[in-house]
Amino acid sequence: MRPPAPAPVPAPGDAAPPTAPRKESAPPVAATPPAPPALDLAALEKRLRATNAIGIFTKLSLKNQVDDLVARFRTFHQGAPVAVAKLREEYDLLLLKVLSVLQDGDPELARDIGASREAIWGLLLDPVKFKKVTS
Amino acid sequence: MKQRVGGVPVIVALTTLFAAPSLAAEDPAVLKDLTAVIALQGLACGQVVGAVRQGEQDYVATCQDGNRYRVFVNAQGRVVVEKR
Repeated sequence: MRPPAPAPVPAPGDAAPPTAPRKESAPPVAATPPAPPALDLAALEKRLRATNAIGIFTKLSLKNQVDDLVARFRTFHQGAPVAVAKLREEYDLLLLKVLSVLQDGDPELARDIGASREAIWGLLLDPVKFKKVTS
Repeated sequence: MKQRVGGVPVIVALTTLFAAPSLAAEDPAVLKDLTAVIALQGLACGQVVGAVRQGEQDYVATCQDGNRYRVFVNAQGRVVVEKR
């Protein structure tokens, strides 16, 4: 077995004392994604109604489609055999439509709606929250 | 003294009167709105290049690809897009 190698001797001109604790760089911290903003559905709805980025037909058509999807969730919560995956597909498609009509004219609103995607989904899927927001 | 009403103003007035229900809508905002609503229904169009107003919230839109659609709000408050 080989003996351990001797500790390196500091150069004579080295200013740092040999016993000085070596500054360790902080261990890398895994970047945590920023917490999603609290969902304010009423505010988003108000902004969607007020935006000038889309016209009256577009707003009304989106409202029709939102109402249709909410009706599908209502039947789901009443026990109808509706697959959650299918609802998710319809929800994603509708959100995509909303974002596509808003992204040029009101990118800020599009971003905020996009950021609320999972929160809105959670609200639709939870029977208690769903009842609260739709009653 | 008899005052004669010129023919041209009368024709203009009559034309305006009878043309009112079907005004061409060249407002870019209306064309953009119609383009978006047709796309939302998943119908082929491209862009709406012209529209004729048939009534309150009732248009016939002409698309870039030649398709024509009637876009209106029905009594139930739903936007309906009908191919013409």
